[in-house]
Amino acid sequence: MNFSFVERLNGLFAQAESVADTATKALSFWERMMPPEDISSSGHLIMWLFNYTTYVNLFWFSLVCLGLFGFSYLYSQKRHKKAFYTHGNEKKHLLITALIGLGVFLSVDMVITKVSSRDIKEVFWNFPEDSEELVKVQVYAQQWAWNFRYAGRDGEFNTADDVVLLNDLVIPVNKKVMVQMTSKDVIHSFYLPNVRLKADAIPGRFAKLWFDANKVGEYEVACAEMCGIHHYLMKGKMTVLSQEDYDSWKNEQEDIAIATNDTESENLRWGWAWGSK
Amino acid sequence: MAFVEQHIHDAPTSFWSKYICSYDHKVIGKQFLWFGIFFLLVGGLMAVMIRWTLAFPGQPFPVIGQLMFPHTGGVVPPDTYAMLFTMHGTIMIFYAITPILIGAFGNFCIPLMIGARDMIFPTLNMLSFWFNMASGILLLGSLCLPLGAAAGGWTSYPTLSTTLGQQGLGQTMWTIALFLLGVSSTMGAVNYITTIITLRAPGMGYFKMPLTVWGLWLTSILNAIFIPVLGAGLLLLTCDRIFGTTFFLAGAAATSGKGDPILFQHVFWIFGHPEVYILILPAWGIVSDLLSFFARKPAFGYKMTALSLSAITVLSTVVYGHHMYTTQMSPLLTQSFMTLTMLISIPSAIFFANWLGTLWKGSIRFTSPMLFSLGVVFVFGLGGLTGLYLASTSIDLYLHDTYFVVGHFHYTMAASVLLGGFAGIYFWMPKMFGRSMNECLAKIHFWTTMIPLNGIFTGMMIMGYAGMHRRLYNPFIYDFMHKLMPMNTFVTWCAIAMGLAQSFFLYNFFKTIFFSKNKPLASANPWEVGTLEWEIPSPAPHYNFKEIPVVKCGPHEFGNPNLKTGRDFQYQTEELVEVK
Repeated sequence: MNFSFVERLNGLFAQAESVADTATKALSFWERMMPPEDISSSGHLIMWLFNYTTYVNLFWFSLVCLGLFGFSYLYSQKRHKKAFYTHGNEKKHLLITALIGLGVFLSVDMVITKVSSRDIKEVFWNFPEDSEELVKVQVYAQQWAWNFRYAGRDGEFNTADDVVLLNDLVIPVNKKVMVQMTSKDVIHSFYLPNVRLKADAIPGRFAKLWFDANKVGEYEVACAEMCGIHHYLMKGKMTVLSQEDYDSWKNEQEDIAIATNDTESENLRWGWAWGSK
Repeated sequence: MAFVEQHIHDAPTSFWSKYICSYDHKVIGKQFLWFGIFFLLVGGLMAVMIRWTLAFPGQPFPVIGQLMFPHTGGVVPPDTYAMLFTMHGTIMIFYAITPILIGAFGNFCIPLMIGARDMIFPTLNMLSFWFNMASGILLLGSLCLPLGAAAGGWTSYPTLSTTLGQQGLGQTMWTIALFLLGVSSTMGAVNYITTIITLRAPGMGYFKMPLTVWGLWLTSILNAIFIPVLGAGLLLLTCDRIFGTTFFLAGAAATSGKGDPILFQHVFWIFGHPEVYILILPAWGIVSDLLSFFARKPAFGYKMTALSLSAITVLSTVVYGHHMYTTQMSPLLTQSFMTLTMLISIPSAIFFANWLGTLWKGSIRFTSPMLFSLGVVFVFGLGGLTGLYLASTSIDLYLHDTYFVVGHFHYTMAASVLLGGFAGIYFWMPKMFGRSMNECLAKIHFWTTMIPLNGIFTGMMIMGYAGMHRRLYNPFIYDFMHKLMPMNTFVTWCAIAMGLAQSFFLYNFFKTIFFSKNKPLASANPWEVGTLEWEIPSPAPHYNFKEIPVVKCGPHEFGNPNLKTGRDFQYQTEELVEVK
């Protein structure tokens, strides 16, 4: 590694720090702890279950603490000279233990499993039909970048007029986006913090994901699976546009694609027909 | 009950046969302890370097940074960073926790606590340590390679861990080192299981064994079954790396044939999930015993605790899929894995209730082993409950591979096991080395460890909830993580504080062993506990028991109101005093 590398690295850090200083100074501790803004129609399901689990956990953990600290205080050797002789195997003891087990089963296991299964089946992995009006995107992960492919004007994937972008995902607001993805080299994970979703992009397999965004703006795409030295640099941008802006952007990109796509270029040689394995 | 009679041979006299190639389970236990503590320090230093990079990106690592990374002016470079977190995980799990909790306590405690003179296979025991040593040397050696050590994460998922992602020899050496370690662990496991089945003293039924032995026994069973699974996966990975096979290669990079990288994840986690219970079960056993010993009260619901631990052992083998939700298995599978994982909460709740039941109406002595045991109850409470978030398939879509996971598994595997290990070391020190450690320093050590420890891992969970994902050299590349900078700094200072606090332990440990020769030896039973090892002198003599003891009562007979001996406890060799 040479001097220029160090310089580049320091530049990167300095830039990040200065942004951090100005943009986040005013945040309270509570705001700093919060997840990034939820812009999806499904993210609240995850957050609801997270909060439910938190409340149940607080209940059970405060019981543990009550026992732990309470008994430590009440029954220290100083306060309580003679221990009570019991093996805890009488009927009433077993009953209490069984009740605690049952309480955990009902409050934790039953609820979380049920809600989570429902959400997965009905929402997260309930993929929209091809007949629905969808934005279809193919994602090809590689060390260390995201390739995005839109069917071009002909509506077919893996043809010469496809719109292919690097680290730049553009979608319209309030519309279901269907993603098919795979990886060129190692396992990556397509992570959208603002949508609360991720799915692994695995070489040799197709993964799919659907989501929508209900707020116009610029967001980040991250790689969540360790994919090599520069894993941390594998960052993409997700731009959510209003339908009109999206349409004109799409139109413009399709023109560019038809005018400039070089079928010999390596950057284009990775598509597949939609839905095929 | 002992099926095999163990003869007493003469004590070895030469340095070599006494300390190096010893067949004595106590010496081998100590060898594992030294080995584990050495690697604990190496892994701890790596942890601090990782934390430094995250909190102070671009700033040179203090003191040794200039020496280690002269070409970047002391800043940890990104390739080294990947190596650091890979080796930190590997070292802590396989070279620190495993040797201390299983190698050291397993070897030292099992024969002493069940009333045996040694392990059933002393030669296998010795081999187990030396295979471990060979593996450790191989792993450390890989750090000196020109392309560095393995850097694909401790899980070493292909295809990143094949030659596609890891060109250097480091990953190959890592794979072979872990394979050797697996051989060593399997030898140990077979030895422990057989010893516990065949060498229990007369009268020592399974439900009269201390819970420490229960924990170690269940751990060994898991080890014997599942370490070979890891071995198989590692061999296939080695073939992919050296012989050009394509078991795990797919995609554009697989030039010939077609394998599946997910196959490795299945094999790895079939081993990997039992592994976390392999690590925690001995600590649970130790804590279950110590809580009763120092609350001066029989273990509450002893049989239920032992059965809960067994239930968890069984369940742990069928839940591994929760590590792979984001690979998009069939929804039927994810639901089954989620339900099975959730079921673990029931036996856990039962033994937690029993732990608290043991404290209830006790007469608690806050000695250092007890403080550490109470610490385990606290941190494992947190660690266990936060597992509920991750067991849920839908929440995992957001939290998978974030710092929430890191915080969670450090609470369960690192914090609980570390505190449990310290509890064990402070407790058995007089029996191991003949002298007790300084109580005051031990208590300072407890508080200076416990407070920053919670700062670190709670901080990590908060960052994970806020979306920060793992294994990033510089998380602040991402805009949404800028606000987490102060939290990262806080966690790093906690980590540094916790690292420095270990000097209280080291000072105490070395002073007690090497610089206390003029002090008198500890009494046979300084903690006033009734299990078998406290009936023989400290340190435990050659071949432990001159006469094999006959066991007449359980290990936790404290506070019996009809005791006439003047003690508040009964030795296991005494007839149980009836309560009318």
